[in-house]
Amino acid sequence: MIDNLSILLSHALLALAFWYLTLRDDLNDEAPPAPDAEPEGFGHAIRKRPQNKTKAAPDA
Amino acid sequence: MRDLFFVGYLGLLLLMAFKRPFLLTLVYAYVDIVAPQRLSYFLLNSIPLSLILFGLAFAGFMLSDDKKDVRISPRWVLLIVLLAYCGYTTFEAVEPLAAQEKWAWVWKALVFAAFLPLTLRTRLRIEALALTLVLCASALIVTGGLKTVAGGGGYGVMVLLVDIDSGLYESSIISCVAIAIIPIILWLANHGTIFKPDWRVKLYAAALIFACLLIPIGVQARTGLICVVVLAILFLRTAKRRMLYIMGAVVLGLVTVPFLPTAFAERMGTIKNYKTDESASTRIAVWKWTWEFVKERPMGGGFNAYIQNKIRYTMPVIDDNGLDTGEVDTGEVIDQGRAYHSSYFEMLGEQGWPGLIMWLIIHVGGVWRMEAIMRIYKKRNREDEEWVIPLARALQSSQIVYLVGSLFVGIAFQPFVYMMIAMQIGLDTYLTRRRQESAWRPIKDLRLKTSEV
Repeated sequence: MIDNLSILLSHALLALAFWYLTLRDDLNDEAPPAPDAEPEGFGHAIRKRPQNKTKAAPDA
Repeated sequence: MRDLFFVGYLGLLLLMAFKRPFLLTLVYAYVDIVAPQRLSYFLLNSIPLSLILFGLAFAGFMLSDDKKDVRISPRWVLLIVLLAYCGYTTFEAVEPLAAQEKWAWVWKALVFAAFLPLTLRTRLRIEALALTLVLCASALIVTGGLKTVAGGGGYGVMVLLVDIDSGLYESSIISCVAIAIIPIILWLANHGTIFKPDWRVKLYAAALIFACLLIPIGVQARTGLICVVVLAILFLRTAKRRMLYIMGAVVLGLVTVPFLPTAFAERMGTIKNYKTDESASTRIAVWKWTWEFVKERPMGGGFNAYIQNKIRYTMPVIDDNGLDTGEVDTGEVIDQGRAYHSSYFEMLGEQGWPGLIMWLIIHVGGVWRMEAIMRIYKKRNREDEEWVIPLARALQSSQIVYLVGSLFVGIAFQPFVYMMIAMQIGLDTYLTRRRQESAWRPIKDLRLKTSEV
């Protein structure tokens, strides 16, 4: 009785999950991610160096 | 009746899988974990179900899947090397027949673990695998939990669906795996998109976690209790109010103790009195034997080399009150062919130092890679990537629980665990590719491209 209940419950949920998955297009193809706002890694480090920072406009 | 149910059920899954061939991979995972052919008496029992399904999954991948997003990682390469090395040690095994018996299922687990990451090229696929693993394990965990509540249980006594001693159906293995998947259940309940996190999902997840915690009590495996303690410590890392968490855990522990069956408390008591416990004494003797064995055969003795061991150990004398008198029993206990009872010694004895080192890199490397992912994504802090850190943390916690649990259980080649490894590798390669796709590009580069056109 307990065994059958457990089998039924887990199998029903798995079948339902499979059904939902058949309806999802993003299972096979995803939209490309949004581009990063800022560079990472070396690019980020180089940009942060004081000599590479954009100079402020001189006061008039 | 049960036979017809499983045949019909498999037919239904396959029907859905023909619309989305990736699902064939999940059907294979289901068959490997739940083993419906063992739960039935005829029909499925008589055909090589796993082989057919792996063939279908592979064909589905080759014929219909887009290969341009397929990536591999160093750990993936190491899996292949480990597979080849295991093949070599099987060829050179000290117990050729017994070695081939184990090789017959190990190579399948490793081949599938290597195949799986190639197919995990979208977030949904990674989630689908996590959900499949949890739901398949739940077939055993729900029954174990209910039977424990109903008062049944005992080490090697509780029958989970079917009376066999392999895969997740073995007491120590299920109690380790049941605790290891708790972080993944929590992730699915909070970040899942297949079953959206509403009150029903959260309620079922809570009930399932409760059943997972009942498994070590039901099967009375000491490994499970150790795994629970390890997981509780790991959760401390993310707990917002740590003192409250610690106090809550202590109170919960104290409240639970009176409700635990006496047999469970007695068996858990043997953890601290390990010297007087035969099972623990045997382990230590086997580990000593393995250490000596590998000195002679550093490349390992091949699968099931433990069959050759002949161990002798002494047991302390126990008085009427169950206390150690300090005297050593005059009669030695002699044993032979005792299993390793530890994945680390299993790897050392069977695959030697090269095998153990590869295995450690694959498994401990998982902990390290998940940590690296968490750090990278903490810095990135993007809204559309909020699911990443919790999943990496869940997989890392599961891995640590497994690594501690496997200190005392020989589950070095457990297919379920290799599917979790495959999920880690898949997540890692998927995220690396997505990071490259979203990488920041200077405007001057874009201008250059435009002028080229």
